[in-house]
Amino acid sequence: MHSGSPLEKTPLGKNAGRQALERACAALGGIILDKDRQIALALACLLARGHLLIEDLPGLGKTTLAQALAKVLGLSYRRIQFTSDLLPADIVGVSVFRRDSGKFEFQPGPIFAQLILADEVNRATPKAQSALLEAMEEHQVSVDGDTRTLPVPFFVVATQNPADQIGTFPLPESQLDRFLMRLALGYPNAENERELITGEDRRSMLESVTPEMTPEILTTLQQDAAKMHMSEHLVDYIQALVRQTRESPDIEIGLSPRGAQALAAAARAHAFVERHSGVFPDDVQAVFTAVAGHRLKPAGNTSFRSPAEMCQHVLDSVAIP
Amino acid sequence: MARARGTDGSLLASLPWTLLALAFALLPHVPYLPAWITAALLACAIWRYSIEVRRKPVPPALLRASLALACFLGVLYTYSTISGVGPGSALLAIMAALKLLETRQRRDQFVLLFIAIFLVMSSLLREQYLWSLPYLVVGVILIMTAWLRTAADDLEPLRRSLGTSSRLILYAAPLALAMWIFFPRIATPFWAVPIDTGTAVSGLSDTISPGDISALSKSDAVAFRVKFDGVVPDPRDRYWRGLVLHRFDGRTWSGISEPRISSGALKNIQTAGEAVQYEVTLEPTRQHWIFALDIPYHWDLESTFLGPQHQLARVQPIDQRIAYKAVSYPDYRIDLELHPYRRGWYLEFPESRNPRTAELASSMRAAATSDEAFVRAVLKKFNEEEYHYTLEPPPLGSHPVDRFLFETRRGFCEHYASAFAVMMRAAGIPARIVVGYQGGELNPVGDYMIVRQADAHAWTEVWLPGSGWRRVDPTAAVAPERVDAGRTGAMFDGTAAAWGLGAPSRLLHNLVLTWDAANAKWNEWVLGYGPENQERFMNWLGMDDPDWRQMILTLVALVTGLTMLISLALMLRYRPPSRDKAAILYDRFVRKSGLKPATGETPRGFAVRAQRDSPLPADSVRSITDTYLDVRYGPPDPALLRRLEVDIAAL
Repeated sequence: MHSGSPLEKTPLGKNAGRQALERACAALGGIILDKDRQIALALACLLARGHLLIEDLPGLGKTTLAQALAKVLGLSYRRIQFTSDLLPADIVGVSVFRRDSGKFEFQPGPIFAQLILADEVNRATPKAQSALLEAMEEHQVSVDGDTRTLPVPFFVVATQNPADQIGTFPLPESQLDRFLMRLALGYPNAENERELITGEDRRSMLESVTPEMTPEILTTLQQDAAKMHMSEHLVDYIQALVRQTRESPDIEIGLSPRGAQALAAAARAHAFVERHSGVFPDDVQAVFTAVAGHRLKPAGNTSFRSPAEMCQHVLDSVAIP
Repeated sequence: MARARGTDGSLLASLPWTLLALAFALLPHVPYLPAWITAALLACAIWRYSIEVRRKPVPPALLRASLALACFLGVLYTYSTISGVGPGSALLAIMAALKLLETRQRRDQFVLLFIAIFLVMSSLLREQYLWSLPYLVVGVILIMTAWLRTAADDLEPLRRSLGTSSRLILYAAPLALAMWIFFPRIATPFWAVPIDTGTAVSGLSDTISPGDISALSKSDAVAFRVKFDGVVPDPRDRYWRGLVLHRFDGRTWSGISEPRISSGALKNIQTAGEAVQYEVTLEPTRQHWIFALDIPYHWDLESTFLGPQHQLARVQPIDQRIAYKAVSYPDYRIDLELHPYRRGWYLEFPESRNPRTAELASSMRAAATSDEAFVRAVLKKFNEEEYHYTLEPPPLGSHPVDRFLFETRRGFCEHYASAFAVMMRAAGIPARIVVGYQGGELNPVGDYMIVRQADAHAWTEVWLPGSGWRRVDPTAAVAPERVDAGRTGAMFDGTAAAWGLGAPSRLLHNLVLTWDAANAKWNEWVLGYGPENQERFMNWLGMDDPDWRQMILTLVALVTGLTMLISLALMLRYRPPSRDKAAILYDRFVRKSGLKPATGETPRGFAVRAQRDSPLPADSVRSITDTYLDVRYGPPDPALLRRLEVDIAAL
């Protein structure tokens, strides 16, 4: 679909991938103002082959971020608006009987794209949610007994409104675990908000965004990120953090081994985005709230007002080896 | 002075090691130190440790100063001097104890460990046994381990400390060996170690008083070792002549206390038969007497002379182990003529003492046909009547010979020799007592003879016209097995009893002999490596008659070469240090910043704070932090570690 792009003709050297990543970062920063940390985290999440959950109030640019990511990274993009009457077939697709051939023919659903925006995922019923979550987990869908592989790379960026709004089905903890990271965008600062009001409309800006890389480059980058050097000390640190979440009296359910893996993978990808020589403690701390915030269940009597505060408390009580 | 602060317990990990090293270094001194110093050492160690455990301040300076003064005066009072090995090591020990009380930092511990090294070495001034070397090596390894554990910023595992210190000793060993071999030995050392004369070395006393309670040494300590060149004399001929006692005051026998030279002594010896050639290695006695088989004729020891009573003595007391070759003739005659003046010496006999003995002697002499017959009669009396040989005789009163001869009838060689000599003198026959050693045990392991302190013996010599001085051993008449069989049987009983064993143990005895043989070799090859052996070795190496300049040059060249060789080996073996070094360096940087990182604060976060709040230049903080992160968390890179070291040192 991007056959005309000059990118395909340049050799996929290490530098090419690195430069593409830098350009993608800059392009995203031009659209999503004042959210450099969230952009870095979102990129790290995708480089770690993880799915992203963006949770915030409506109107803070969740959808814009997802669309911008798809555009800039040059991925095929589909959006699924989750509603309370959404059916699994609306996600994965159906087999339709063709009169002329006398056979059933599979009509792929919107899930068959490289980047899926699952908008307001908590508005759908658990049945529809689980169809999406199974696809995320397995990277394939089964329809009428046939197993169909999803495209590579395959990312789901789900957005969610905070659960206290009316008519929602909050995702259960076990399914939240499928998302590598959960991000909150938050309000922009006054200066950037002013620019949003007076400047160009974000939607029309997205139209003019050109892809900065190809799926092939992205795959290479993912491989490089996974090879990021992680020293023994840093493994010690991750273990210490995980142990702290399990032993802290303020936390009822700590991080699982899968959570620890997720933390390591996210930290690696973050270090890669930040161009560190290895995974630094700063990388772990940067991704910790995003990775652990939705996996930890606070104890009943806890005084923390938010998951972020709880995660910060864990970080503040573990010494860096 | 700053107010005394409590200790912070930071020495808790290394202090036991320092104490252990000190204890190990002091242990060889303990038998020689006065009890109060040992007690003070223990008390100070326990005191200091409890201070550390309870986080109390160390005692105030005034108290420490007065304690130091008191201890100094105590040493002065105990020894009446402060020079010499004894007072010197006592002072060193007490200073170590007091230094403990002001040990607050690592630096103080290093001083303590210095003292420990000095102490462990100074024990060599006292004794250099075979086991001294392994003890020394273990001691130094222990001290180095304590050192490493004190110096380590983060406590390293014990195995590594021990390994490092053992390796250091190993690297030093070739250098030590080279120095030992090539350091020029000279006959008279230019430094003189004042030997501790206060502690008695077991040996023969200059006088004997058989009336006193048994003071006979039952010690198995070696008096000397003998290597025979050819035929080994029979047990009955193994009389090792020492000193001669001729003065008798009715109770105590004494002789000439200072060695005298008699130019005619050698002329008055007539020899016959085969000579016995041998080499004696004599343990230090602090006395002048040189022991040789009856009767010595040649010897190769300098400033050693034969006295008028045919006793060998050296002008300087024997303060160190010496070896000498000698030739003796078991078949001899001495002093065929006896000067009337000398004759008076050997007949001296206080009339007021021991009247019954004098009476008995007179009547027996009257009954005998000749002097020889009288001698035989007295020996026969000892042999046939109820006289017993015992090492634990009852004490005798003011007429000791009377009481021994007529009442107690129990005694050992001194008693019989004394009684016999008194009877001879009472009957008008010149007599004297010879003190020395009798017997000796052949050690098959090293093919040499051991003569022990327990072989000490006293016998008599009587002068008979026509035959001169003749050896008569009255003890042999009472207990022939004491003389014939040597002392092996007797020693067996003694050793077994000392070990609480009922039956003598062959195995144990063989072990003792093997150990003694090892000691003899050690003495011969290691301690005996003096000027002569060194010269011989140098000649063997091809250096003909080297003077000390040549030897020093050789030594310097050799040590330099060895050092370079060892360094080269170490360089080739070098591996970049583990990146834990980075953490140590970073800690140094953190200390220099004067700030304390919060728990969970990343180096980057700390750097931001340090740039704002510390006096360090912001650029350096930034670059050091980046380098540290790369070194510690990035892929290994020795160059980066060096840069970190340089940057932090430059702060």
